[in-house]
Amino acid sequence: MIAAVNQGANSLRPGRAQIVFSGVTLNLGGKAILEGISLDVKPGEFLCIIGASGCGKTTALRLAAGLYQPTSGTVAFDGQAMLAPRRDIAIVFQDYGKALLPWRTAAGNVSLALEASGMAASQRATRIDELLKKVGLPNHAGKYPAEMSGGMQQRLQIARCLAQEPKALLMDEPFGALDAMTRQGLQDEVLSLVHASDATVVFVTHDLEEAIYLGDRVIGLLPHPGRIGIELQIDLPRPRDQLTTRENPEFLRLRRELFDFIKASEA
Amino acid sequence: MNRSVLYWRAASFAVAAGFIGLWQFIADQRLVSPVFLPGPDRAWASLVRGFASGDLLDKLLGTLEHMAYGWFVASIAGIALGAMIGSSRTMRSYVAPSLEFLRPLPVSAVIPVAIAMFGLTQTMALFVIAFGAIWPMLLATIHGFAAVEPRLYEVARSLHMSRLAVIFKIALPSASPDILAGMRLSVTVALILSVVCEILAGLDGLGHWVLLSARSFRSADLFAGVMLLGVIGYLTALAMSLVEKRLLKWRSSGH
Ligand SMILES: Nc1ncnc2c1ncn2[C@@H]1O[C@H](COP(=O)(O)OP(=O)(O)OP(=O)(O)O)[C@@H](O)[C@H]1O
Ligand SMILES: [Mg+2]
Repeated sequence: MIAAVNQGANSLRPGRAQIVFSGVTLNLGGKAILEGISLDVKPGEFLCIIGASGCGKTTALRLAAGLYQPTSGTVAFDGQAMLAPRRDIAIVFQDYGKALLPWRTAAGNVSLALEASGMAASQRATRIDELLKKVGLPNHAGKYPAEMSGGMQQRLQIARCLAQEPKALLMDEPFGALDAMTRQGLQDEVLSLVHASDATVVFVTHDLEEAIYLGDRVIGLLPHPGRIGIELQIDLPRPRDQLTTRENPEFLRLRRELFDFIKASEA
Repeated sequence: MNRSVLYWRAASFAVAAGFIGLWQFIADQRLVSPVFLPGPDRAWASLVRGFASGDLLDKLLGTLEHMAYGWFVASIAGIALGAMIGSSRTMRSYVAPSLEFLRPLPVSAVIPVAIAMFGLTQTMALFVIAFGAIWPMLLATIHGFAAVEPRLYEVARSLHMSRLAVIFKIALPSASPDILAGMRLSVTVALILSVVCEILAGLDGLGHWVLLSARSFRSADLFAGVMLLGVIGYLTALAMSLVEKRLLKWRSSGH
């Protein structure tokens, strides 16, 4: 487990937005999946995206990662158009089982990112140890993914993403497949990791409480085609705490608001 | 678990011993003329004699050489072609119909073509062995490369991995279970075709030895050669599955 206590996300630095969607529309298979999305994410911000299943959350994240190109409109990062994936944008996939190399050990999987960045072999071992320790897997370096639990595999994927030293971390329902206890533990770990690394985070989830608990801001998408339907600033005090934050009246009010939004969007 | 492995091993030894015993019994009782069927004792004696004189060793090495060259060429070509075809959807759709046409073609139909092109030579043998042995590998490699998890390619893209790194760090290891299974199948095919080519072209090897022994009614020598071929087949398959087990350790681990 990670030693540090639940830290807050970074205070927002003023200045230019880091991830900018301007009038983004994306058609896939002749169908509009996303339409007219305009969105600014500030450096160091923790943005959560919620929405009913199939509304286009994953698609939006893939656009931010440069894995898709918009049909019209633009996606920019640090003022440059996103024409391809960037090494300083890391993406944590929901299906960790598919995103890890099963033939490499935990250490080998982290090493993949270091090798790609051109780090000398002699420096890798120390860095791998550091990263595995950071995500709470210091004693599992020699294990293959098949020997690890879901929570451990997702930690490993996060370690590999941190190895990229990303400016932005994109996470697609990273804890969706995990049980509630593991989930809450990982939420706090992500908050403290993000605090330590200064990265901007875009976090997709369908768990409304998770979105409020983690985020500086939550946006909700409406389906068919996907567009922004709600935007809430989350001013809950940091560091957040699994008990007190979730009992905060403001938390409950935000939860209610998002709940009503989802219900209306599905109707 | 361990117990049942032991049990099966003991059982398979018992079957083999029973089989040899039966063979000895039939030979001793002269149920089949000794001109055609030597007992295991005589076949063994012939085997020892053949090795003592160095004759049989030469033939054995000849067959191993044919097999190894053919298999090696087939492996390189099969994996390279399979990787090219398997990793591109367009290539697959262009090439797949031709493959479907060529694949069921019995290798025996290709032998006359090879003889016409190369004569009764080592080159002919190499061509035929490689042609026969390439199929299991080619098809397995195509399948392996086509089945690489697309998510891993996305990981590679966001890490900006080079094309070469993607092939060697992602596609090849991901396809390795299929490739190794293909290699195991084709090593047996290579053995069979080595013997066939040696018989047809009179090339130095166990096939030739077996043919000559049969022609001169030296049944003990014939059986010595056949036994040796069986042993080669068994040992190469065993070696391949050991290599597989070692290389694919990551698969068997865990739950
Ligand atoms: N490659 C594609 N071609 C055509 N349609 C697609 C493609 N990928 C996704 N879609 C469609 O786009 C819509 C949005 O998909 P997306 O995966 O972004 O939804 P999501 O909000 O992430 O859903 P979930 O909560 O179930 O993960 C869905 O209706 C889906 O069927
Ligand atoms: Mg999704």
